[in-house]
Amino acid sequence: MTAPDRLIAVERVTKRYATSSGPVEALHDVSLTVGEGEFCTLIGPSGCGKSTLLGMLGGLVHPDSGRVLVDARPVTGPDPRRVATVFQDPGLFPWRTVLENVEFGLELGGSAAARRRAIATELLPPLGLKGFAEKYPRELSGGMKQRVAIGRALAIDTKILLMDEPFGALDEQTRVLMGEWLLDIWRRTRKTVIFVTHSLHEALFLSTRIAVMTARPGRIKSVLDLPLDYPRSMESPELVALRAKLWGEIREESLRAMQ
Amino acid sequence: MTLLARAGLFLVLLGLWEAVGRASNPLLAVPPSAVLPALRDLLLLRSYPDLPANVLLTVREIAMAYALAVVAGLACGFALGFNRLIGRAWGPMIAALYAVPAVVWYPSLMLFFGLDAASKIAFGFLLGFFPVTLAVLAGIRQVNPHLVTVARAYGAGPLTVFGRVMVPAMLFTLVGGLRTALALAVVGVIVGEILGSKRGMGALINHAYGLLRTADYVALVLVTLALVVGSDVVASLAERRALKWSE
Repeated sequence: MTAPDRLIAVERVTKRYATSSGPVEALHDVSLTVGEGEFCTLIGPSGCGKSTLLGMLGGLVHPDSGRVLVDARPVTGPDPRRVATVFQDPGLFPWRTVLENVEFGLELGGSAAARRRAIATELLPPLGLKGFAEKYPRELSGGMKQRVAIGRALAIDTKILLMDEPFGALDEQTRVLMGEWLLDIWRRTRKTVIFVTHSLHEALFLSTRIAVMTARPGRIKSVLDLPLDYPRSMESPELVALRAKLWGEIREESLRAMQ
Repeated sequence: MTLLARAGLFLVLLGLWEAVGRASNPLLAVPPSAVLPALRDLLLLRSYPDLPANVLLTVREIAMAYALAVVAGLACGFALGFNRLIGRAWGPMIAALYAVPAVVWYPSLMLFFGLDAASKIAFGFLLGFFPVTLAVLAGIRQVNPHLVTVARAYGAGPLTVFGRVMVPAMLFTLVGGLRTALALAVVGVIVGEILGSKRGMGALINHAYGLLRTADYVALVLVTLALVVGSDVVASLAERRALKWSE
């Protein structure tokens, strides 16, 4: 049994990448724990290793040192029984219909055709994709594509959902609406979400916890807990105060990243 | 509308052919009005009673050449595409070889494989092989690496990535290459037969042409044309089925 407040544990992780101008340290001695049912956001300047950290949780990137535990077991590779990932680029398969894209993970997991069809079909209405089952990705808007990608992740019903700037490519209005929609999904499914973003608004609006990362090499600068109710109002005094505090921390790192 | 325009163009061309054919030396050119009876005689097996055997032989040579070209082309393409070192070393050589007019190899193919079916199959194979290999190489380059990452995140191993991501992502290019290869295999076999053989459609064409039986010659060309167009129709149907999602 894992302690519920340590569903995910990142322990002193370091990662270097070889580039043409020599090795670059993406993450330096990063430690972080995330409890079950939390909505934990990673925020920080571009290139601070947020995506690298998320890749490690998903088993797509291996740390040079330190270790990553999910459910008290070290992550050695992708494990779709426990972790599902949504990427910034939805990465839908253009030759598959919406329904077939949502079914993808179930198909790889070996579930029967009728069963996966039933699961995927049931997911479409809450995704706002009712009536789009037989459409191909090129017929969808950016927001819809990302909802299909989220559907593909929800379909395999994992405890943990990793989201790498899922709304980063969307326009501001769609982004706000998608945030509200995601909040609704999260509150109903009570999944543990690790969410990477650049957006202060998104972080404050969604998270139970925000981890601020430093400019390269990425370290955890500070962790903010947000014991506030949903839905949140950006005008509430607590959130205004938190926003100022968060901006102070990020501003400093973004300035360093620009130098 | 398109159909009407197409039919109109066809009639105009036929009319032109008729006019030019009538005005020319009948040994060198024949009008459609002379081809029709020749075609009838041909199809009723009056002029060339062994037509079916020859058609069958040519079809079998094409099928063999194409099958070999596809198998070898796929194997070679994937070997080059998945192995960076071999791909870098040999890829440009393949492309350079493809640029050489293939017909220069035919004399040595006849020396190696003789005057019978084997040399025609070899020539059809040679023409069909390159488009398949190059299509595989181009196709592999076209696979969006992000889709491979997504599949891996969902637990796909190398084989699943290959079958569920690489092949469908390459299909557009691959099917195009397979279609070109079929057309070229047909060309290879028939040109091979014309350049030197005793049997097959090419040999009949050569025979009719050599004896200045121009109407029969044109009729045989029309039958060959039907064969070629038929194979391309089959290929395009397969292509449309495979690429339903991109319409």
